[in-house]
Amino acid sequence: MRTALALVLGLAGAAGAADELRLPPITRATLDNGLRVQVVEYHELPLVEVQLMVGAGAAQDPKGKDGLAALTADALRRGAGKLSADEVARAVEFLGGRIDATAGTDGTVVSAEFLSKDFRAGLDLLRQVLLEPTFARDEIRRARDEQAAGLVAALEDTSAVAEKCFAGFLYGAHPYGRPVDGRRATVPRLERGDVRDFYERWYRPNATLLVLVGDVDAQSALAALREAFGTWRPRADALAERTPTPAPLTARKLLLVDKADATQTQIRFGNVAIPRNHPDYIRAQVANTILGGGFTSKLIEELRIKRSLTYAAWSTFAARLTGGDFRLGTFTKSPTTAETLALALEVEGDFRRHPPERAALDKAKTYLRGQFPLKLESPDALAGRLAEIQFYGLPDDELTTYRTRVAAVSAADALEVAERLMPSPDAVAIVVVGKAAEIRDQLTAKFGPFEAIAAEACESLSERR
Amino acid sequence: MLRRLIALLLVVPSAATAFELPVVERTLPNGMHVLLHEDHSAPVVSSYIFFRSGSRNETWGGTGIAHLFEHMMFNGGKKFGPGVFDDMIEGNGGSTNGFTMRDCTAYLNNFPLEALPIVLDLESDRMAHLALTPKNLEQERGIVMEERRLRIDNQVSGLMNEALYLHAFERSPYRWNTLGFMEDLKRITLAEARAYFHTYYAPNNATIVLAGDLQPGPTFALVERYFGKIPRRPPPPPVDDADPSQEGERRVIVKKNAELPAVLIGYHGVAVRDPDRPALDVLERVLSGGESARLHEDLVRAHEVATAVEANNSWGIDPDLFWFYAQARPGKTEAALEARIDAVMAAVAAKPVPDVELRKAKNQLRAELVRGLKTVSGKANQLGYFDAVFGDYRALFGLEAAWEAVTADDLRRVAARYLVSEKRTVVVLVPVPSGRPLGEGPPKGGATS
Repeated sequence: MRTALALVLGLAGAAGAADELRLPPITRATLDNGLRVQVVEYHELPLVEVQLMVGAGAAQDPKGKDGLAALTADALRRGAGKLSADEVARAVEFLGGRIDATAGTDGTVVSAEFLSKDFRAGLDLLRQVLLEPTFARDEIRRARDEQAAGLVAALEDTSAVAEKCFAGFLYGAHPYGRPVDGRRATVPRLERGDVRDFYERWYRPNATLLVLVGDVDAQSALAALREAFGTWRPRADALAERTPTPAPLTARKLLLVDKADATQTQIRFGNVAIPRNHPDYIRAQVANTILGGGFTSKLIEELRIKRSLTYAAWSTFAARLTGGDFRLGTFTKSPTTAETLALALEVEGDFRRHPPERAALDKAKTYLRGQFPLKLESPDALAGRLAEIQFYGLPDDELTTYRTRVAAVSAADALEVAERLMPSPDAVAIVVVGKAAEIRDQLTAKFGPFEAIAAEACESLSERR
Repeated sequence: MLRRLIALLLVVPSAATAFELPVVERTLPNGMHVLLHEDHSAPVVSSYIFFRSGSRNETWGGTGIAHLFEHMMFNGGKKFGPGVFDDMIEGNGGSTNGFTMRDCTAYLNNFPLEALPIVLDLESDRMAHLALTPKNLEQERGIVMEERRLRIDNQVSGLMNEALYLHAFERSPYRWNTLGFMEDLKRITLAEARAYFHTYYAPNNATIVLAGDLQPGPTFALVERYFGKIPRRPPPPPVDDADPSQEGERRVIVKKNAELPAVLIGYHGVAVRDPDRPALDVLERVLSGGESARLHEDLVRAHEVATAVEANNSWGIDPDLFWFYAQARPGKTEAALEARIDAVMAAVAAKPVPDVELRKAKNQLRAELVRGLKTVSGKANQLGYFDAVFGDYRALFGLEAAWEAVTADDLRRVAARYLVSEKRTVVVLVPVPSGRPLGEGPPKGGATS
């Protein structure tokens, strides 16, 4: 007895077509106000997942108001319609549901999950949060204070510090270098009026897409969505101007971030690469899987298995709307910091100069194809993938042809994209977070002079280039 | 079938009937427990092997061996040599991992159905014939020490957690965490690893769960073929777990480079099979089930002393802790956090929790249960965990009825019985400033590039 999703995700027919995935029917509609909607029926569990992507994020933060997109997203749930902040939280949590709003750089995700029996009640809460946020003065103050405190708390997480410093160090003043949560210099100055203005300008149906995946009838769900969001008023200038394409670095630079009592050093390096809709994205993903994906990558082999220098090492193409980067990460005990960094650079550099072995390529492709259904298995995962396709302007058959396209990548393709899209070790931004007193000399000996700063100074890297 | 049964339960809020996942259960002649769950919702199969052994089965001076051993399990057996396990799993479209808890150790794979015989071949080879070599031990020793540096030594919350359990317990093996002490990790010998393997990695100490796109009949035949010949071994020794009763509060100071003060308070709770465990679960949700829970409303919203606050009723085969964690806002003190947590607790003890709040806590517990079953991997994990820790996978299906039966009186009773200051351990994080500010003046390593 195969169920709906099984048909959808199951292998379609004959062996020759084994790589084709069939998706469940997607009901698509564009409301009169411009809101683009996709609805998919999912009947495995009594859940409904709704995901909205609002087309503005930290990239639209006005100058000097870093963190405003994040504050606006956070403030949505703090009072809406006739409900106070406490009442919204109680209503959502009474249903065992959730409503989240999180700003990114290119956009803001607002998502909700409820049991299907509570779909109507949950949708009404989501509608109020999205269309009728109160933005009471005291609630904005609370949200701002919490966000400011969060900036301080985040300094305790060395891995998070490394990621934030890496973005600022690589992208500088480009919006992709901007800390989404803002800076300690900007967040305390954000006002209710700023939040109001950001919301009024950018939270508009003509700049938003919505995906619903759940245990509902598609037609009645669509009718309910029309009823909930049909009155949302569009605004012509809500469509964000595209962030300019970031420029890659042409030389290597290293930043040491001091963590005075650390016994372990976090390492990140990389350079500007490709946006998500780049035609080489799949080929790049296959090549990257060989270098730094899964448990059998080159990086794991060299850094972890052969030398026990680390517990983890990985690389990834962080691909976004108008650009993105290739980045590599690992960590090691303080005494082996320079050795580990040098080795990681060498492994990456070698990888982009030599074609992958046949066996490694085949393994990476089989791994990606075999794991792909797991990325569509739950309703929230499927909603996320469908939202991604529309947000980044990917082809409609992105999911159904994924496995075929992976299978088609040759060793020559992998080498070509690695050489072109992965950075030369001579042109990367390197961030090292660790105990400066112990690792400074080793780094200087191997890498020459570099800049050193305190963790809290990372947030201002995005002010310069 | 699955969908219908869960739906039944979820549409009737007060229903005390439990949902069930259809499970085919068998025990091999060598004592290995086999649970099969057929679910064709996605073209994947998930396998979990749970061994009823974790850091709870270690001894003082030999901490960390269960977890170190988990790492060694990926480095080859007799039929498949070093480095082959991960390669074969990923090369057949699967992913693999393992995790160690206090009570048990689990090995998992998520893979396409075609890979099932290969996965079982690999798993049975390492269960029967793990290659216990000096190279395997030395390689993983270094990696595990790095993992400890990541999760404990360089993470404030990890250090606080280690300090809490170390001081709350005196005899129970819950005193130490699964990563073990660095000094113990340095000295674990191959002979000890071998002894650990022979004592605990026996089929009669394991449960295998297979869930997903499979047919139970042929799948069971495969399991029997690959695991049936592994010999049964004597049962592991019982764990000597009884802790003396705590008489009086203990306080521990942790000083560390950190930005904000924090507090972690642990009270002696109960074992998972104790009849009071469901009431403590519901109490946890009343206190800490989201933004409308009492702790968040008090510490974050009403008094604005915390950035984050959480309560947790930890589950264990032996009595574990019911703990509270809070991190201060800039400018607020640890004492303010502690005072507010105590005030919230006093309110629970003084007045019955209103029905609507009780209902909210139960609804959240139920919704979380459903969310844990979104994937076949989640289902296999749950079945295996309950079989290993509760002693019977069916305990998963009994959770909800037990939560439903909890009353406001029960909450007052368990709060008064367990959450008393004489039986708590308080860990206070005192942040130490991180020394001289860098970034001002040229660093010793050379000029700014």
